Amino acid sequence: MFKKTSLAAGVAAFAAILFAGGYAIADAQKVDFTAMSAEELAEYIILESGGFHLDAAVQEGGTMRARMEQDDLQKACSVVGGGKPDAATLEAVRAAAAASITYPEGGIKLGDWQKGRELSWSGFGYRVGHRNDDHSASRQPGGNCANCHQKVSDRDGGTLGPDLTGYGKMRGTSDAMLKYVYDVIYNAHAYFPCTQMPRMGAKGVLTQEQIADIMAWLLDPESPVNK
Amino acid sequence: MLKKALLALPVALALGVAANAQKAPEDVLQRLIDSIDSTYLTQSEMNLMMMPDSPALWLIDDGQELFHEARGPNNVSLETCDFGKGPGVLEGVFVEFPRYFEDAGRVMDFESRLVHCMKTIQGFTDDDPAIKTKHGNAADITKLQTYVASLSNGHAWNPPLDHPMEKAIRDAGEIIFYRRAGTMDFSCSTCHAATGKRIRASVLPDSNVPEEWTKAVSWPAFRVGHDNVRSAQHRVSECYWQMRHAEPVWGDIGMIAIISYWNDRARGQPAILPDMKR
Repeated sequence: MFKKTSLAAGVAAFAAILFAGGYAIADAQKVDFTAMSAEELAEYIILESGGFHLDAAVQEGGTMRARMEQDDLQKACSVVGGGKPDAATLEAVRAAAAASITYPEGGIKLGDWQKGRELSWSGFGYRVGHRNDDHSASRQPGGNCANCHQKVSDRDGGTLGPDLTGYGKMRGTSDAMLKYVYDVIYNAHAYFPCTQMPRMGAKGVLTQEQIADIMAWLLDPESPVNK
Repeated sequence: MLKKALLALPVALALGVAANAQKAPEDVLQRLIDSIDSTYLTQSEMNLMMMPDSPALWLIDDGQELFHEARGPNNVSLETCDFGKGPGVLEGVFVEFPRYFEDAGRVMDFESRLVHCMKTIQGFTDDDPAIKTKHGNAADITKLQTYVASLSNGHAWNPPLDHPMEKAIRDAGEIIFYRRAGTMDFSCSTCHAATGKRIRASVLPDSNVPEEWTKAVSWPAFRVGHDNVRSAQHRVSECYWQMRHAEPVWGDIGMIAIISYWNDRARGQPAILPDMKR
């Protein structure tokens, strides 16, 4: 379910420099934490020390280990202390993100805004630990949109992302607008490299059909977002 | 009685820090609220009103009794446990964790140290309910932790970084805090690196604002939505669940690295112990 993104050379080179050599640790008993860099120790703690439940099964198949191993975008966009990486890295992230996007056969169309409303509100899915989200039950994973975005006044959305109230009113439903919104939901790094927004399409959280439903929630003139 | 109290007053005033430590948790919080404009600190008026009657206060008494009671296979109390300032010293120790302990050869958070003493001094094992039960009001660990933590209420966070291991683990915790991974590319910093932002209706604490962050890391706290007192480790686990990351193993190095960085970010600000949270 999780698609590998094709990577621009810049990101790959950046990652290679950062993580070249690594930290070959043969015997956990002999590990000297103080001899490692903070980055090496953090990687050791997460992936080698047994300090995290990496063997837990995950909804997409396989185990937590695969989730905790960073892909190239995650490495490039993790900046200690906050902020963004340098311009060349950002451009490489942007190009790789743009290349990751796949489109529905027959073009991008708006789906069902009522389904999109539920998807945008739902924060269900992919959680593992003291309680595991069961995707096989009646609930499917949601879009988590309202966690970070304010959309309509009847329910409180978050403020980590921009306020999307009335999003479609001024923008309309031209082909260019449909493509832009589809791209942003699928992989927002194509426009905003190293954004905090999850890659809903590229990481397989939402299907193309679900993205179309959420687009309808945002853009359909009948949607309460635009009333 | 009155005479005694009047005589004690100047002493308390003279000892500024001690006087501060004797304040109730809600007074410590109120001083923070007065010191900074923060929607995080003030988001629940109801919690502020309920704090003087927090159910966590009952656990302090239970914990105190348990602490001084002869228990376990060795039938001794925890009074000889060294929490970093010498055997038996409890005042102000909670805000100076995580800490490296020579006798254990590793950096421990408070809960790990408590379990260490319950094992080495009292003779409990991992299978005993006293250690095995980690969650909720009824757990011995929750009661003991709430009691000892309450003796650091109002003390400034001051986790030691003198030992190279303490520094190394705190620095790794910082990397982990900003390390994006998982289904949603989240890290701790996704939610805790900006001021006044919300997830849905909940205002998030900003790790860059120590006056906010001290409340964020002030555990144990009565979690209103759970109707239970929760620990720092419980909070970390909840965040990792929401991030769609792997859960840190309780008491293990990942958890301790995260808590080392947490507590360091609140350095210098008074701890609210026990706190009350949504």
